[in-house]
Amino acid sequence: MEANPDGTGRPPACDLCGRPGVYLDRIQNRHLCSDHFVGDVEGRVNHTIQKYVMVQPGDRLAVALSGGKDSTVLLHLLRRLLPDADLAAVTVDEGIDGYRDATLRSAGATTRGLGIEHQTLSFLDLYGKTLDEILKGQPDRACSICGILRRKALNTIARRAGASKLVTGHNLDDEAQSVLMNWLRGDRERVLRRPEENGGHGFIPRVKPLREIPEKEVALYGILKGLFVELPECPYMHSALRGEVRGILTTLERGHPGTMRRVVEGQVRLSRQLSSIPRASRPLRACERCGDPTTARLCQACRLFDPEGGPGTLVSPER
Amino acid sequence: MKIHLQDGTARTFEGGPATVSRVLLSLGVNPVEVIASRDGKVIPEDTFLGPDDEIRIIRVSHGG
Repeated sequence: MEANPDGTGRPPACDLCGRPGVYLDRIQNRHLCSDHFVGDVEGRVNHTIQKYVMVQPGDRLAVALSGGKDSTVLLHLLRRLLPDADLAAVTVDEGIDGYRDATLRSAGATTRGLGIEHQTLSFLDLYGKTLDEILKGQPDRACSICGILRRKALNTIARRAGASKLVTGHNLDDEAQSVLMNWLRGDRERVLRRPEENGGHGFIPRVKPLREIPEKEVALYGILKGLFVELPECPYMHSALRGEVRGILTTLERGHPGTMRRVVEGQVRLSRQLSSIPRASRPLRACERCGDPTTARLCQACRLFDPEGGPGTLVSPER
Repeated sequence: MKIHLQDGTARTFEGGPATVSRVLLSLGVNPVEVIASRDGKVIPEDTFLGPDDEIRIIRVSHGG
């Protein structure tokens, strides 16, 4: 790998073909041109799908399409790598003013362009209020509340679409953040959870074909394939622990390339080695309020709401 | 050289020839979180920039 310290301004050459590089892979210490970078990402995503047996004959795949870069790249990759797969796109409209409208338009344009069936479910339809209305006065709880409500909404719409798997666009950075957050929260159940234990508790199994691709590479793939659309940030992200963890991990990744990959791989190895440890396992039952599968009297989403406060009214945090 | 940030603002770097990474770090931007382009073409972070170069920064790491 040679940079160009002569000041000519030429990008360093691709280590595989000599054409101008577009990417420095700091883990393998090599430059890649556009074609070799795209081929490399597609090869690794295909390898991940095979390694974790993410897709089996007869599967109908519901792809969670927010309209952002990760899910847009994911849908294009699945169409390219699995041309015969039965694909549907599902989108959750949380109702976030000034943010979701742009991503919904992007999602619609993507599915129309690919000719893929597309279904949308809104928080307003499912819970009676938009996320903005639900969170009024409690923005600090945005991400944890939205996470629970989105999970239920995605499961609901994937079920309506007749899907056997729910495919999400989580990338390596997302996965590394989740590992670290589980440790920071002392969440033993999630720390011990193996990647194969997706879904569970009556939810449609989830698979993440981009889980080994860094966020920067997902974005670059999107740019090089003409899929990248600059979209606004979620206005609630700054209240999230995830934002702080993201900053910590990208700083470590800069100083120690491969940190995020090692965090995720280490978690996979650890969870497999500890798989014999007894875990809390309660039988599934129907949520008394909505009928969804749960191990408690009420499912996680219904536990958030106060039935006496009208649709979409949160239980007071003091209760 | 001139650096166009995603929020529409522009900054200048006058420290002589430097790589994209060095310029970004001088602005407090982590190269892991962004992609740089010059004349509409994406360039690796260790590309040397000249005094007349203009680069555009796309932030890739954010929520949503």
